[in-house]
Amino acid sequence: MSDYKELIAELVAAAETPAKTIKKSMEDTGKKAIGCFPLHIPEEIIYACNYLPVGMWGGKTDLKLCDTYMQSFCCTIMRANLEYGMKGTYNFLSGIVMNAMCDTLKCVCEDWKIAVPQVPIIPVVYAQQRKSEEGIEYMKAEFKRVRHALEKLEGRMVMDRDVENAYEMYEDYRAAMRDFDATCVNYPITMDAYTRHLVIKAGFFMDKAVYKEKIKAITAGLKAQAPEKFDGIRVIATGLLSEPNEVLNIFKENNIAIVGDDLAQESRLWRTPGRDIKGSVWEKMALRMADQRGDCFLYEPDKQRGEMMIEMCKARSAKAVVVFMMKFCDPEEFDYPIYKKELDDAGVPHLYLEVDQMIDSFEQIRTRIQAFAEQF
Amino acid sequence: MFLGIDIGSSSSKVALMNDKKELVATAVVNKGTGTDGVHSALEQAFLKAGITKEDVQFSVVTGYGRVTYKDADKQITELTCHAKGVAYLIPGARTIVDIGGQDAKVIKLNEKGEMINFGMNEKCAAGTGRFLEVMARVLGCGLGDLSDLAQKSDKTVSISSVCTVFAESEVISQLATGETPANVARGAHVSVSKRVAGMCNRVGVEPTVVMTGGVALNADMVRCLSNELSSPVTAAPNCQAVGAIGASVAAYETFMARREQ
Repeated sequence: MSDYKELIAELVAAAETPAKTIKKSMEDTGKKAIGCFPLHIPEEIIYACNYLPVGMWGGKTDLKLCDTYMQSFCCTIMRANLEYGMKGTYNFLSGIVMNAMCDTLKCVCEDWKIAVPQVPIIPVVYAQQRKSEEGIEYMKAEFKRVRHALEKLEGRMVMDRDVENAYEMYEDYRAAMRDFDATCVNYPITMDAYTRHLVIKAGFFMDKAVYKEKIKAITAGLKAQAPEKFDGIRVIATGLLSEPNEVLNIFKENNIAIVGDDLAQESRLWRTPGRDIKGSVWEKMALRMADQRGDCFLYEPDKQRGEMMIEMCKARSAKAVVVFMMKFCDPEEFDYPIYKKELDDAGVPHLYLEVDQMIDSFEQIRTRIQAFAEQF
Repeated sequence: MFLGIDIGSSSSKVALMNDKKELVATAVVNKGTGTDGVHSALEQAFLKAGITKEDVQFSVVTGYGRVTYKDADKQITELTCHAKGVAYLIPGARTIVDIGGQDAKVIKLNEKGEMINFGMNEKCAAGTGRFLEVMARVLGCGLGDLSDLAQKSDKTVSISSVCTVFAESEVISQLATGETPANVARGAHVSVSKRVAGMCNRVGVEPTVVMTGGVALNADMVRCLSNELSSPVTAAPNCQAVGAIGASVAAYETFMARREQ
């Protein structure tokens, strides 16, 4: 087993160079790649169809071509994805899978067909009433439809058994991520805000079967060390994603560690385990979506997000919550007043950072983070 | 002697405090980061206090230019410094509205005068001193004359654009259709006040509300903000130097705390 610190460095480097990492993963596995737009893409099905699922979470680029279709008030992740698509950056993908969880995603789905015709799109639409019997049945059918679309793309049939195997592998990956996340709480110096994020992000560009073993080795390596004494500020991060990376370095400069998260790009993807039932894999996948809590992109009448963050702060000795508010992300913006009140009532301070992926100047964000740290 | 330096985007401020925690001198020079403004302000303050640089026991720098200024013992943010400055000048204050040349901030204090929450405007000139500078230029008056001009108004001209550039065009159109400069000046104050009031509501407003920064010199602006918040607003004494005063308080406190250790 490699030294865990070497593995950490390897994953950080992998996340810093996504294109290179994806190319290597494709070469190593001999698989073609399917792009996964943000939020709850059923990667198990893609994996079962012998494709390499890769994450598409935008990135920093000049936005020119995408403005043909998208307004300046759309979130920069969507704009960047369409820009990369139109530039041809994603031409190596055999297709993309995209959901329709927000208004922008719905429109990008249509835009993509016209603007990036060389990369076929497979949409997936989740049930709003995802906990109802009808919702479960609908999602089972929807997952099967995605399989069928991928079968047509690949030109071969994919058996239920293949999807079951992929689901089991993904369940193991999700369990490994939960263990890693819980372990990082005790190692806030080694797993500083930047390192923790990039180690997690690397998984979007690698074969999950390979990646999860590296994560398990890192977790085991960390656990073998004594818990780190940290005199800084422990926080929980919430929002879509904790980028740009420069912001995380400012956290590090101010001795702030992220010891847990409620981020769409991080723990929301793996914090909910599948149920231990005897049903079909389609049922297990649908129920796992039904069991998701505290995600602003999924309908939840009793909004549990604030309560979940307060519990996480207590459990992980976090002093505060940091809100990474992606500019123009309506679902996140609408949730904010609700959980803000709950945090205020519980006496949990929070730092609100409005971010987008194209930021060049970090002085104002630096002032906010530093002023926040000075409060403690 | 304890030195506080506030290097803002459009002005440099310096404050000196003695070892009895008494304010000895302040200086404000209307030249900001990247200029020799800070050196001029330091010279003026040292001259007023009758001291030299060697008499300074500890110094704290704050403001937009704090990171690049290397001659201070410590750098902290202007948010913390405004909180300390207001708590020093007006004990019991619970909300601070600081409208500077480049940005606007709202700071909430607890009963001990400690910062417990804050909000800042985004990278946009609307709701800042820059917006008023642009309005003064369009109206053909100095920034310092805007308050007197607005107080002659008989109505408020609505300026609906939140963007400073568009607002400038809008104001030119208003003047072209016969609106008086006084009514437009009042409209500009109300526009900034509404923008800042929105931020106040996010942070939460509790009396006493204190206004700091150069815009607090504008009496009509203070009154407009008070109307928008439905709460009395007090302009801080020496409002431009509050950040520097807070920095000098921080210098004093840091020095004393380290001496006790």
